[in-house]
Amino acid sequence: MKLSDEARRVLDRTMAYNRVSPEAQAEIERVIAAMPQDRVLLYKNVVSNPIGDLPRYSVHICIQHMLTFVTFLTLAFTGLPIAFFEHSWAAPLNALVGGVDVSRVIHRTLASVMIFSMIYHVFTIVGGTVQKLMNGTFDLQRTILPVWKDVRDFQADFRYFFELADQRPEMDKFMYKQKIHYFAAAFGNLVMVISGSSFLFPEFWAAVLPAGVAANFQEMMRLSHPHEALLALFVIAYWHWYNVHLAPGRFPMQWTFLTGKITREHQMEEHFLEYLRNLVEIPEEREKLMDMLLARELVAIPEGEALAEPEPVRD
Amino acid sequence: MFAIVRTRREIGLVLACLILWPLAVPAQGAFEDDENCLMCHKYPKMGRVTDDGVFRSYYVMPHVFSRTVHRNVPCRDCHSYIKELPHRPVKVGVQCDSECHSIKNPATGKRFSHKPIYAKYIRSVHGRPKNARGPDRDKPYCVTCHTNPIYNPQEKQLPEHIVKRCVVCHEDRAFVENWYKHTSRRIREVKRDSRQIVQLCANCHGDQRLVQRHLKAARLEGRELGRKYPYAVESYLESFHGKVTHYGFKKAANCVDCHVDQDDYYLNVHFIRPSRDPVSPVSPERKLQTCRRCHKYADENYARLDPHPTSDIQDNPFRHYAEVIYGWVGDIVLVMLIGMALMETIGRWRDGVIWQIRKGSSWWRKSKRDRDRVI
Repeated sequence: MKLSDEARRVLDRTMAYNRVSPEAQAEIERVIAAMPQDRVLLYKNVVSNPIGDLPRYSVHICIQHMLTFVTFLTLAFTGLPIAFFEHSWAAPLNALVGGVDVSRVIHRTLASVMIFSMIYHVFTIVGGTVQKLMNGTFDLQRTILPVWKDVRDFQADFRYFFELADQRPEMDKFMYKQKIHYFAAAFGNLVMVISGSSFLFPEFWAAVLPAGVAANFQEMMRLSHPHEALLALFVIAYWHWYNVHLAPGRFPMQWTFLTGKITREHQMEEHFLEYLRNLVEIPEEREKLMDMLLARELVAIPEGEALAEPEPVRD
Repeated sequence: MFAIVRTRREIGLVLACLILWPLAVPAQGAFEDDENCLMCHKYPKMGRVTDDGVFRSYYVMPHVFSRTVHRNVPCRDCHSYIKELPHRPVKVGVQCDSECHSIKNPATGKRFSHKPIYAKYIRSVHGRPKNARGPDRDKPYCVTCHTNPIYNPQEKQLPEHIVKRCVVCHEDRAFVENWYKHTSRRIREVKRDSRQIVQLCANCHGDQRLVQRHLKAARLEGRELGRKYPYAVESYLESFHGKVTHYGFKKAANCVDCHVDQDDYYLNVHFIRPSRDPVSPVSPERKLQTCRRCHKYADENYARLDPHPTSDIQDNPFRHYAEVIYGWVGDIVLVMLIGMALMETIGRWRDGVIWQIRKGSSWWRKSKRDRDRVI
């Protein structure tokens, strides 16, 4: 495969960050050269373990996801029947979670856990970034921060979905969809914390805000808390659960939130640039990929070179 | 002429009593009916249809009345206009500021009366004469809220061990039972709970036909009504206080917690004034003080927060438009997300993906683009 300029930059940068030896560099180049030019053929032909092959999330992120997952759903189930009490489902659901005397205690306790999870997450992200900066390995493109490339990826991905392009774009560790989701969740969490605090400490917010703003702020928070909760629930139910459970190839679920690992075919399809980094950082992955390509006779043959004898597939 | 009709009516009533005799409900534990009113009023079907087409029952359930707070008051202490039997048609009815002839206030020795409460009530925003006409007729009279309540309805039987103990000295069991009922009802809190209070107020303030009638009358008369009058109940239920009270939470403010001066609650609950009256606890002059009863760090800004929030454009345009925008954003986001998911599914499906990873891959179907997994 002849890498695109973008992919080449990522590969070179990663090799520089990892201080790759000339021998390893040559091996990486050999593997990349052997990859078929059509990336679709690449991810269609690899062998993947459903519970994940390649590292994606640290144990901290898995814990934070678990905390957010449990607190979000329980907060929604204890809060929504109070906010939307006039609906037929509200009273039975409220009774199911122990009635308002119990559910309000659960709601406030789990809100504290959710805030802890947010703080824990910020510390993890900031700590990881500082560490990478100190090691000189920080790569902005590898982070969740939106970059202009995401807009191009979005456009290119939809061209593929509409059959106007034959390949999905070469996306990074976090693709446009995940960045939208992440910042929507971060914004939503912040709104929920501020609006929730305006219910719990209305005197505080009235005291710190100017007289002309305090009443409108409270009204906005009263609207925001249930609306944001409902929106988040719909986004989770219709989109996040689609992406991680129902999307083709992901059913019944992606195990990443538990194992921290992503499947090989998924990494290649939606995070190709990150897969290139994996080839640099995980020598075994180079071997495995080469074996798979040889076994399926998919090795791209550079002009004037003969194909090496295929070796048996190891997994 | 009138005398003849009256005579016929009397004969009719007496005949009706005799005919209905077999239908009478047995007077279990009946009160002392010295005036013999039950001779007629014990019949369940006794009543008449009013000019408005409403059936008015005149049935007195002896076994229930004997357990009510008024069971020791002879009928004619309140129905004082009855001079003979069968009595004349009732024109005004019982007025709750009358004085009892038979019951004396043991503290003052005077004839017992609800006059002090009535005097407050009649000056309140709800005050009205017994047989008011026009819009005032919608206002609550005493019996709208007070339905001659039964002593401790949950306490079907008096605790025998207590009664037996009292009887040792007080000897008369009937006296002991009465005294127990009288005191226990007052010692145990039998006030309506928050949810019942909201329901009671909502009976009128949540009745949109009644509310619209009064808005129209006030407009015609050039009278001022409270800004929240059209949405008093729905806006309370929209507030945090209302939402948790709806589920039976007891610590959040209900209607009377804010609208009644708590200094002398049992008297002042009959003296609710409109918020434009400086006497009202929710008047601009006293609102902060009322908020501070629960929210002790409340300040002037806090008192500006709306305890009756609505999204009505007339009442709060800011909230109205904020809600409209929220609705649009929510709808657009959902449509876009579902659209994205759909496009992604169709696009990848066309290229040969299957739902679940099987044997190490999820690309086992044939692609329309002629580039399939090597099998």
